[in-house]
Amino acid sequence: MATTADAASGAAAGEPPHPGQRRPLWRRRGARWFAAAIVVVQLGLVANGYRDPHNYFAFQPFNESSTFAVELVRVLPDGEREAVPYGRWEGYDWDELIGWRALKGPWSQRHAFSGVDAVVDYLDHALDWMANNTPNDTKTLYLEATVTYHRNARGPYVTVIRSHERELGDL
Amino acid sequence: MTATAPAASTPDWRSRYQRFLDTVFDEPASLRAVAIVRIVLGPSVIWHLRPFLADALEGVTYLDVFQQKWWPWVPNAPVGLYVALLWVGVAAAVLMTVGLWSRTATWVTLAVVAYNFFLSETHFRHNRAFLIILLAGVALCDNGRVQSLDARRRRPPDDRALLWPVWLLRFEAAAIYFASGFSKLIDPDWVGGRVMHDRTLRYQGDVRDALGDTLADPILEVIAARAFQWVLSPVAVATELFIAFGIWFRRTRLAAVWVAVAFHVGIEVSAQVEVFSVIAIGALAIWAVPSTRDRTLVTPSSWVKWFDWMARFDITVVPGASWRMVDRDGTVLEGQQARQFVRTRLPATFLFSRFWRYP
Repeated sequence: MATTADAASGAAAGEPPHPGQRRPLWRRRGARWFAAAIVVVQLGLVANGYRDPHNYFAFQPFNESSTFAVELVRVLPDGEREAVPYGRWEGYDWDELIGWRALKGPWSQRHAFSGVDAVVDYLDHALDWMANNTPNDTKTLYLEATVTYHRNARGPYVTVIRSHERELGDL
Repeated sequence: MTATAPAASTPDWRSRYQRFLDTVFDEPASLRAVAIVRIVLGPSVIWHLRPFLADALEGVTYLDVFQQKWWPWVPNAPVGLYVALLWVGVAAAVLMTVGLWSRTATWVTLAVVAYNFFLSETHFRHNRAFLIILLAGVALCDNGRVQSLDARRRRPPDDRALLWPVWLLRFEAAAIYFASGFSKLIDPDWVGGRVMHDRTLRYQGDVRDALGDTLADPILEVIAARAFQWVLSPVAVATELFIAFGIWFRRTRLAAVWVAVAFHVGIEVSAQVEVFSVIAIGALAIWAVPSTRDRTLVTPSSWVKWFDWMARFDITVVPGASWRMVDRDGTVLEGQQARQFVRTRLPATFLFSRFWRYP
């Protein structure tokens, strides 16, 4: 390990103290507590990465080779299910609204950025966001995505996610 | 061992630990490594902000596309202010690199990059998180004391300052390699080669596009083989873990730096990781011993001064003299040995020094 001798440089005996060494005690102690807090938080985030699908600040890149594909439908108030081919409906375009490569063009099989669980979670939030930000669509009660995925070449598995129900009277 | 041994060793361990903490938190040391990281971070930040600026120039910002907020209390800047902030970030990154109002510029750069990052979870990437960590560590240091226009305008008495943020950066950098390596080590799909093999099969079309069939065929025949990935995957995991631990120890540090550079070049070639390779290689500077001019060198070559960015040597150029170097511990090296040693300690040449030997 880098030693005390590593870090000390040029501080010969008898030299006046460096400005950095003349800090008040609270600042010296504060630096230690701050550093200790950062270490604890970072270790906590690394541990949290085994629970959090996005593993934010847990540094687990290239964690999966999983793939996914989405079939999007809009469900109308009478229960009718209308397919949304290529993510286009009522003048809206999924790819344009998403604006994020990881979730663009999910109609054909694509790599799951940061893993399947992360993608499904992002899609879940994206459906809600779409439901809130498509005011010209006055027919859709909610959006539903059927996600077919392969986790590290195993599968296929299927999961279904939905946006929240929209208040059509307000639109 | 006698019964008194544990009692005798306890205070010794404690005092050594206390001395270590005192050194880390209270002893000033050379900031040159931090300055190098600061210089590398500027262009990296500009490269990082480039796609956001390009979108903004086309009239698209985060407000026009899917946004998933990290925290509801982070305010959304209106479009004009957001675009202005991005440009402020670019300007601050330039000032940070040239070292004009260095510390303020670094804090401003950090603020812009962090604000943009925390506007939406869709802005998250591991390399961006590391960029923020590095900016924060550099901002915490008095980073303009050396290799900066600030130092030229108002020359400080020396290049030293408190370096505890560098120790934090060392911890963070090692933690990243460890977290990445360990998560793969305990994942049977990863360490067993399944993940790498599947990715290779999926992206073999890209290899063909890049290299052409003639060159790609023999390469793919090797790397797309299940057995190859079965061997390569544990090697990749071991590489990350070796860097995470080996970089802490003097005996293995140079090897770990070497492996890290090769590792990052490999990743850069095979994947899209934005600024990760550049900042990770630049951040290796923080592992240099933060002392300067503690080796004396007599040399006939003036080029050494130009490449001694970390000020490893107290250099005297004497035309016609033979090379002579006195190390920290008093060891004297002469002639070719001295020249070879110097090459192993210069940032621009150390990577090649093992191969680059005079007969």
